[in-house]
Amino acid sequence: MEGGGIEWIVAVNLVIWTGLFLYLLRLGKRLREMEKER
Amino acid sequence: MKTLLAWLLWLWISLVIVGAFYYAPLAQGFIGQSSRILFFHVPMAWVSFVAFIAAGIWSLLYLFRGRRPGHDTAAAVAIQLGLVFGILATVTGSLWAKIMWGAYWNWDPRQTSILIALLFYGAYLALRTAMEDWETRARLSAAYSVLGLVVAPFLFFILPRLTFSLHPESVINAQGKVEMESRMLQVLLAGSAGFTALFFWIHNLQCRLQALWERKSAP
Repeated sequence: MEGGGIEWIVAVNLVIWTGLFLYLLRLGKRLREMEKER
Repeated sequence: MKTLLAWLLWLWISLVIVGAFYYAPLAQGFIGQSSRILFFHVPMAWVSFVAFIAAGIWSLLYLFRGRRPGHDTAAAVAIQLGLVFGILATVTGSLWAKIMWGAYWNWDPRQTSILIALLFYGAYLALRTAMEDWETRARLSAAYSVLGLVVAPFLFFILPRLTFSLHPESVINAQGKVEMESRMLQVLLAGSAGFTALFFWIHNLQCRLQALWERKSAP
């Protein structure tokens, strides 16, 4: 595999991981708000 | 503080991803870059195992520590997540098998044993949906999950070692030693630790979400 191929795979992995992370972070924040409301 | 920990986890797993491709060397005897799948495949299988064992422990707590609904929920969520990580381990393993052995599925002992584990815990979810009475469902599924404390170690660690396998030698080999290049081992251990932390984070969120949903739907 060419070096460019690896860079592409790393970038896709990082984008997927960052997307999942931000989703979880937002979910945690929303949960805290809902737990306070109750 | 919790947000800081979350960002540390983001950094940790990001470093594992970068390390898997740029820090760890290629393993000998593997086609092209395929050995890099190791750094995702093994941690996924590991987290799946941790999830199933954690579910068994939460089920024991449910049965012998006051029948708290929270313990039942924690066990069920752990098994759901264990199945997700188990499927990811199977998919990454199949991709690797296609490159190395020429076929996605070879009925290798490890492939077969993880398939049986997935079916065993899939049946747990089917068992839960089959019962309407909350207490009966919680009690029976806890007993089933406790059985998993014997089944999971057997399927993950014992059965694959009993017969010839196409798989490379385990991380801890038959002599009880770890014979892996040090940088590869560092990335592998860091990945396993990072994904285990990710499992417990998602588990915590899912349990809280379920508790809120149950409170909302209660009359």
